[in-house]
Amino acid sequence: MAAIRTQKEIRQRAPIWLVVLLLTNLVIMAVDARDSVTRQRLIRVWVQALISPAQSLSSGASGAGTNFVRQIVNFRSTAYENERLKQELSKAEFELRNAQQAAAENERLQGLLNLKEQTGFDHVPARVIARDSSGWFNTITINRGSSSGIALNMPVVTGGGIVGRVIALSPWTAQVMMVTDEKAAAGAIVGQLGGSGALGSVRGLGEKGLVEMRYVSGLEKVEVGNYILTTGQDGIYPPGLTIGEVVQVSPGTATQSHEILIRPGAKLDQLEEVAVLLYRAPARPAPEQTLPNVDKGKK
Amino acid sequence: MPQLKTAAALAVAIILQLCLGAVWFPLSYIDFPLIVVVYIALQRHAWHALIVGTIAGIAVDAASGGLIGAGGFSKTLTAYLIYVAATRVNLENTLLRIPVLAAASVIDSAIYVFWHRSLGYPPNVSFMQTMSYRLIGTTIVGTFALYLLNSLFTERARQRRTFASRRKGARRGPRKLGR
Repeated sequence: MAAIRTQKEIRQRAPIWLVVLLLTNLVIMAVDARDSVTRQRLIRVWVQALISPAQSLSSGASGAGTNFVRQIVNFRSTAYENERLKQELSKAEFELRNAQQAAAENERLQGLLNLKEQTGFDHVPARVIARDSSGWFNTITINRGSSSGIALNMPVVTGGGIVGRVIALSPWTAQVMMVTDEKAAAGAIVGQLGGSGALGSVRGLGEKGLVEMRYVSGLEKVEVGNYILTTGQDGIYPPGLTIGEVVQVSPGTATQSHEILIRPGAKLDQLEEVAVLLYRAPARPAPEQTLPNVDKGKK
Repeated sequence: MPQLKTAAALAVAIILQLCLGAVWFPLSYIDFPLIVVVYIALQRHAWHALIVGTIAGIAVDAASGGLIGAGGFSKTLTAYLIYVAATRVNLENTLLRIPVLAAASVIDSAIYVFWHRSLGYPPNVSFMQTMSYRLIGTTIVGTFALYLLNSLFTERARQRRTFASRRKGARRGPRKLGR
């Protein structure tokens, strides 16, 4: 009888619990949505710090797992051919693949090492350990955090160009919003700084893997294949970093700006290693808050 | 003890959700925490299902690029809807659980995206495409996972395991037992 009563009570109280929990989630969501610049929240810091060892392990296991699957496929095909020769061939292929992977990794790491010379800023190399777990957003998680000197809004780059900026931090990991995210933006110029007047800003397009450049005067000359660089006016990226290459231009007019699509220089869908530039934009003077007709001497 | 099992299943589901995407990206479309939430809601444990929905959602939100609380909201509401359905309709049949999982996945995705759009954070990917991938992945894996969880955790499964050894003893007969 007691058990029946308990079940009945549970059924009666379930809507109350539901409302309480939904309201809790709603409040958390509203608080999180208020800060659109960074997504740094205590709960995010703790969850990322707790989960980072497992993510590092799974990231390492993915490479081993891929090799394992490839080996199985290779073994199956050997049944139809000369066993000894096939094994030698697969071994050679495996070694060649490893060598190619090592060469590609070496090239990527070399590119990261050269960053200091290219940009003039110190950087922290990092490995990508996870991508957005929900599948809805363009973020990645890297295996370096505040303990390595990384701070919020620091730019993340590869040898090919900018990747994005740090939006949340734990002591050992950092979450990076990629430039292709619809919320990401950066000041940009077509061609070299000082050599062009085609200034504008780039913004992510989300799923297409491209970024869009806006506000470039229709009178400026822009062609497919031109390189887009950062201007440093956004307060996040230092000037002169590659953003990408123009892949499509819809010419503007004297009164209408160009519509430019850019393919990011960093291979964002194949990211393995990145570097976080220890760059902080120079502080800007605070805007004048007082009204122009107020006599400051009276204060 | 049931609480411990629930906590363990939830922890495993969250870790799988946060780690498998790095191994192979399409695996991130399988919503493991949602499968656990559906399983608990189908057991008609209202309080467990609601709490597990909130915790699982917030944990996954915190490690993703979305708003913290959106996943918690969607999973909590999904858990309640399935709990209500389970108290009115008999959903013990494995085949009936397939549409339940599919519906849970659609409801969860729809509420999640609704809140992001409402608060000015529209997702970067096509809603229909991503929802379809999640629906397929979660339904297929969830059907097997529910069967597995059912055969491991339910009272009926426990009784079956207990009585199996007794039945075996009874079949041998009393004389053979003495030897």
